[in-house]
Amino acid sequence: MVEMDNRIPLDWDALEVGEVFEKFEYTLTQEMIDEYRRGVMDPEAAFPTISHKVDVRQFNAKYSDNGSVNARCAFHCYNSPTPGKKLTVTAWVADKYLRRGKNYIVTEAVSVDEDGRLIDRVITHELKQPWEVGKKWES
Amino acid sequence: MGKLEQGFSEGAPVGPLVKEITQEAINLFEGSAGYSEPSQFTDEEAARETLGTSGTVASGRMSISFALELLRRHFGSEVFNHSGMVDLRFLRPVRPGDTITFSGEVTGTSREANGLKVNVKIEAQNQRGDTTGVGSGSAIVPQAYLPPEE
Repeated sequence: MVEMDNRIPLDWDALEVGEVFEKFEYTLTQEMIDEYRRGVMDPEAAFPTISHKVDVRQFNAKYSDNGSVNARCAFHCYNSPTPGKKLTVTAWVADKYLRRGKNYIVTEAVSVDEDGRLIDRVITHELKQPWEVGKKWES
Repeated sequence: MGKLEQGFSEGAPVGPLVKEITQEAINLFEGSAGYSEPSQFTDEEAARETLGTSGTVASGRMSISFALELLRRHFGSEVFNHSGMVDLRFLRPVRPGDTITFSGEVTGTSREANGLKVNVKIEAQNQRGDTTGVGSGSAIVPQAYLPPEE
């Protein structure tokens, strides 16, 4: 059975900067950490949270669009997460801008663990016309 | 001048760090967060549909992970994992088969209430010498790690 897509088609002009998404919770398992460390070829990698893309997860759960390309990303480390602990993520639309005729959306998220430890902050600038860069990359 | 001070002085090199990108590594990165749907990172057809590219690309967040490692190795986990940050702009795609070299240089320092903030510029280049990403990073080295001021 095909699942219904109940998401709202993204209207970049109508999107409100400051929109805060529903909190997202997940438990970071040792298995997730191990898999991430193998992926980045770094046995001491301390922030596997980066692969969870938590700043855009709730955005993508709410809005449907034609995909995106990560144009810029900033990551701030506060405390490395502990396996088995539940993480709560608060994410919001931090900004949006038009550059060279292309639409960008900036999302930001902060993760806190169940003990109240601040884990990290991630800020991502996504270009919402992914085929534009694809065209450039292939030329 | 001690080793610690040298590593934090303007012009001090950071890295390099070399990573060989494989589709398996990309799949592990994506899979570690439970992303199992075909995407531009894991599936050629999805990459063609979304990006119009002939093959998959690595997520920019993989490059962020490598930049974090570059700076963590320079500052040490005790310092970097509590006060570090990186900020990268992605200029060209990183694809399976690429060898990416991350390198940096200390650009300056500033006194903060809780230590010395060391700023670093970061660049990532592929095996053809093309720049795939540029940006900056920093860490705050606590006072206790620094030699006494004269």
